[in-house]
This record gives sequence, C-alpha cells and structure tokens, in this order.
Amino acid sequence: MKTKAILVDITKCIGCRNCEQACKEAHGLPLENEPVLSATALTVVEQRGDKFVRRMCMHCQDPACASACPVGALKKTAAGPVAYDAGKCMGCRYCMLACPFQVPRYEWTKLAPYVKKCDMCAGRLEEGGLPACVQACPTGASLFGDRDDLLAEAQKRILENPAYVRHIYGSEEVGGTSVFFLSDVPFEKLGFVAAPTNHPLPTLTANALADVPTVVLLGSSLLFGLYWITDRRKQVALDEAKEKFFASHTDEKRS
Amino acid sequence: MPNLRFPKITLWRVLVTLIFATGLYATYARFLQGFAASTNLSDGMPWGLWVGLGTLCGVGLSAGGFAVAAAAYILGFERYRPVVRAAVLISFLGYLTVVVGMLYELGLPWRVWHPIFMWNRHSVLFEVAWCVMLYTTVLTLEFSPALLEKLPWKRAREWYLRWHRAILIELVLIGVVLSSLHQSFLGGLYLITEGKLYPLWYSSYIPSLFYLSAIPAGLAVTIMALYLSARSLNARFDLSILGEISRLMAPLLAVYALFRGVDLVTHGALPYMFRWRSETGLFWLEIALFVVVPLVLLSSEQVRNNPQWLYWTCALVVMGFIANRLNVSVTGLQASAGVHYVPKWTEMASTIAILTAAVLAFRYAVLYLNIFPQPKERWMMKAATD
Repeated sequence: MKTKAILVDITKCIGCRNCEQACKEAHGLPLENEPVLSATALTVVEQRGDKFVRRMCMHCQDPACASACPVGALKKTAAGPVAYDAGKCMGCRYCMLACPFQVPRYEWTKLAPYVKKCDMCAGRLEEGGLPACVQACPTGASLFGDRDDLLAEAQKRILENPAYVRHIYGSEEVGGTSVFFLSDVPFEKLGFVAAPTNHPLPTLTANALADVPTVVLLGSSLLFGLYWITDRRKQVALDEAKEKFFASHTDEKRS
Repeated sequence: MPNLRFPKITLWRVLVTLIFATGLYATYARFLQGFAASTNLSDGMPWGLWVGLGTLCGVGLSAGGFAVAAAAYILGFERYRPVVRAAVLISFLGYLTVVVGMLYELGLPWRVWHPIFMWNRHSVLFEVAWCVMLYTTVLTLEFSPALLEKLPWKRAREWYLRWHRAILIELVLIGVVLSSLHQSFLGGLYLITEGKLYPLWYSSYIPSLFYLSAIPAGLAVTIMALYLSARSLNARFDLSILGEISRLMAPLLAVYALFRGVDLVTHGALPYMFRWRSETGLFWLEIALFVVVPLVLLSSEQVRNNPQWLYWTCALVVMGFIANRLNVSVTGLQASAGVHYVPKWTEMASTIAILTAAVLAFRYAVLYLNIFPQPKERWMMKAATD
C-alpha cells in the first residue's frame, strides 16, 4: 500500500464547515461549532480575510511528536497517518511541546486525560474508505490519494494557473508532511507557521543522542584516569610516610 | 510531662503549617478535580511551573551531590570529605522532590512506570526518565550508610558498611556519568523546539549550557545548605570549606558565561539582546543574577571568606539559575505559542509544599543522623593518630 495524503486547495474552500461536522461525527465528538482546534475539534475551518483555512494534524513524514514520545505512543504508519496509541500514553505532553504546528490538544478537564489529534481516519482507511472530512467536502477543496499523486496534482495546478503561490505548503516543511496546502495568498498571511526548516526536527535530537555513547565512554575513561592518579598519589604519599617512620625508628634503635 | 504539651507556636511553625495546608488542597485539586481546576496550563503552554521549577530546577539544583562527591573521591580534594554526605543528601532529597513532582505533572501518573517497558530510544524524555530512575537509585545507595549505620544489629550493619565501602568508588563514578547525562538531557529536551523557543534561549548547544550551568548552581545550593546547617542546626565543621567551594564556583560561572556569550553571538542572537520586549528584560535579569553580580562578588576575597556574604551570593546564583530555567520553559515559548501563562496559585502551592517537605527532611536528617562529622568521632580520630 502506497503512503496516503490529503491535499487542501484553499482557493476552492467555501467555508461550509461540512468537514468539521463529518470529523466530529466520525470520532463521536459533540457536534457544536468550535473556532479553533481543541480536544473535541480535530479539524476546524478558520476564516482569514475572505479565505478559509482548514487546520488539522499535518501527518509529518518524520514527525517530531513521534520522536519525542518517551513511550512510543505516537507512530508514523506506512499508510500515512501519524497514529496515537492511548494505551501507552502516560500524559507527559512532550508531543505538544515538540509539534512544530501546535496541533496536539489535551483533555485538560478530564481526570484521565489523553492527547487528541486528527488520525486521518486511519480506521476508515483500513476498510478502503476516505477520511470523513474529504468525503464531506462538496467542492473538492480537500482531496485524498497517494502522496506522490497528490504532489504531482498540486504541481500541475501551480504550473497551469499563475494565480497560485508557487509553493506547496507541506512539501518541504520539516522534511515534508502528508497534508498539503495550495493557496493564492501568501501562506504567512493565512496564519501558517513559517515552518522552521527543511529538515525533519527529529534529526536535531538524533544528532545529540548519537553522541551519547562517545561522551559516556570518553567521560568515564577520563574519570577513571583521574581517580587512578589520585589513588596512586595517595599510595605514594602513604609509602613515603611509612618509610620515613620506619627509618626514624631504626635510627632510634641504633643510637 | 513536657511531651504532652501543645507545641509552642512560632512563626516558622505557622508558616510550615500554612504551606502544608495549601499544598494539601492543591494536591486534592490536582488529583480529584484535574488539570483545568488546578493549573493554568493550556494547549499552547502544555508544560508550566511544575516542569520549569519542579523538574528543571529540581534536577539542576541537585547537581551539588555529584560535583562534591567527584571532587572528594575522584579528584582527591580531601578537604571536601566532611561535607560530602550533606551534599549527597541534598541531591537525594532534590531527586525525591522531582519524582514526587512528576506524579503531579503526568496526566496519567499511574502509568509512570511505562518507560521501563515501552521504549523509544529516539526520545530525549525517554533517556531523561531512565536517568531519573537510575540516578535516584545511585543516590539512595550513596546515602544509605547514613541510615543503615543506625541499625541495631551489629553484624548486618558492619556487613553492609563493608560492602558499601567496596563499591563506593564505582557508585561515585556511575553517579557522575549518569547525572552529567541527565543534566544535559534536560537541555536536550528543547532541541526539538527549534523555531518555537525564542532565539535568546534556543541553541543547538543547549544540552551543554544546561550542564555547565547546573554545576555552579548545585554548588551554590550546597553552600547555602551547609551555612544554614552550621548556623541553625548546630552542625560542626570548618566553615572555611564554604570559601573553598566558592573558589570552584567562580571559574565554573566564568566558563558558562563565556560559552553562553560565544553561543549567542555565533547563532546570531545578538540583535535580540537589545530589542524592546519583555523577553529582553527577563534575559538580562537572568544574566545579571546568575553571572554578572555573582562573578563580581566572588572575585572579592572578603566575600569568599565571609560565610554570610557568600550565602547571599549563592542565593543570587540560585535565583539566576531559576530565572534561566523558567525563561527556557515558559518565557521563551510564550511568543510562538501566543499565550500568556501565569501559574495558578495551586501550581505554586504544591511545588512549595514539596520543597518544604524536602527542607524539613534535610533538617531532621542533620539533627538525627550523622550527616556531619560528629564531635565524638573527631575525638576518637585524634586519639587514634596520637
């Protein structure tokens, strides 16, 4: 199975919010409208000027949240979605700190709170279905398909229509995501995070963690060496003191 | 029957009672009402005071134990011997506060054991979790003789103490490696916040910065605790040791200042140091408290040789250290998150109650265990050398 993705063409979104409602139904969440992402709104349509921008998990190719999670509750699946295993989660919320797009939400009001975020309807995908939001979209602003095909489609649209900003948001951000955006207004004006870099964030920690064995080995040999010198010095000092002591005693006996 | 009398009401006792009463309420709020009722945490600020003060400062300020133990046992600074036990005790209690605090922080604290069986070796927090577990064990073992030497069974006691002497050096070595890793990893947690953490604090060298700042801060806490023990708990040891430790602190602070300065300049944070923003003010507050004022004070012989002056200098270092950790964990993330976080009073109350418990434990340990060299022992040592 090829890895899947979602393409959102902002020029085609009319702000009907059918995707929001479909998402809530699919995930059994309360149906009232919410203005921003929350533990009960895994996707929302935000109005920016006369544009409508859908927010959701970007399903990064190399997700910061998955690398950050100490117990491996978050995982990038081969099918595309970044999946969350609530059974492993211990509620440390490091994923929320790590996410460059500030997507994961927390159930702050519950006594046994879990992390909430879009799962790209992984269950529906397994049964060969579409993500609920894509299925509910009446204008084709949200498309679902193979990641490569969607990237090619996005590229084609940009080349054919000069009105588009010449960038597919998500193609390079943090090393690439599985949710892409096309727009005819600069992305930073629509509240998109000026995605930090074009490298996956997990490499930042991977590089540091890779140094650990070397540091431990060098550090402990250095410490042991220092200890050896200290100990040796003590021994020598002790021996000298003993020698002096015995020497003085034998002198006394002779005299 | 003086024991049955109602305890005398003093200012300190009233204060401690108040702290524990509010702490108890905060604990009730956290565990029976949840995060929303007990904290001002939000999706934009998922880590607040409990992580910033409880964990980052708790661990950082506990660095004195490994530093003093390493100086005494590995580098051969024999003069430090009389205070090693006190330094280890401070670290031990410090780590206990971190472990207890972690139960408040975690959304599902009953799963605190998960990292033992569910591994993700790409996660810095996973490594942090293991460092906490392993180093707390090492500290328990390092400190254990102080408790077990009070055992009434002579043979068990002597067997344990002999075993402990045999593994002591290995324990100290492992402890130094583990806590060095742990201090650095805490900084490493923020490597992944590139683009979110304000440039005055984000650095790809943040693990080293955390490590370099923790050692002088840990020593400062040790000096403060030693001074208070001598002043109020009647601990008898040569106070000139404080000056000696401070002589180590000044160069450590200078090294940190140099490293931090070069780091700020090389990654282009220089212009941020002079922008008209609240981050700038908090940055300079941190630099002034942690580096500039203490270095000026410590360069004076008079300050180093006066325990009281030294105590207040160390207090500045500790405050500067706390400012730094809170800047990294709260201030530096607010702009990108678009939230303004002020901890709820219950967050403060629980943290303060845990810290107070640790301070009380230290007090009782000094009063009832042999944390400092005992007068009798000294007399016996004298007799033996005569």
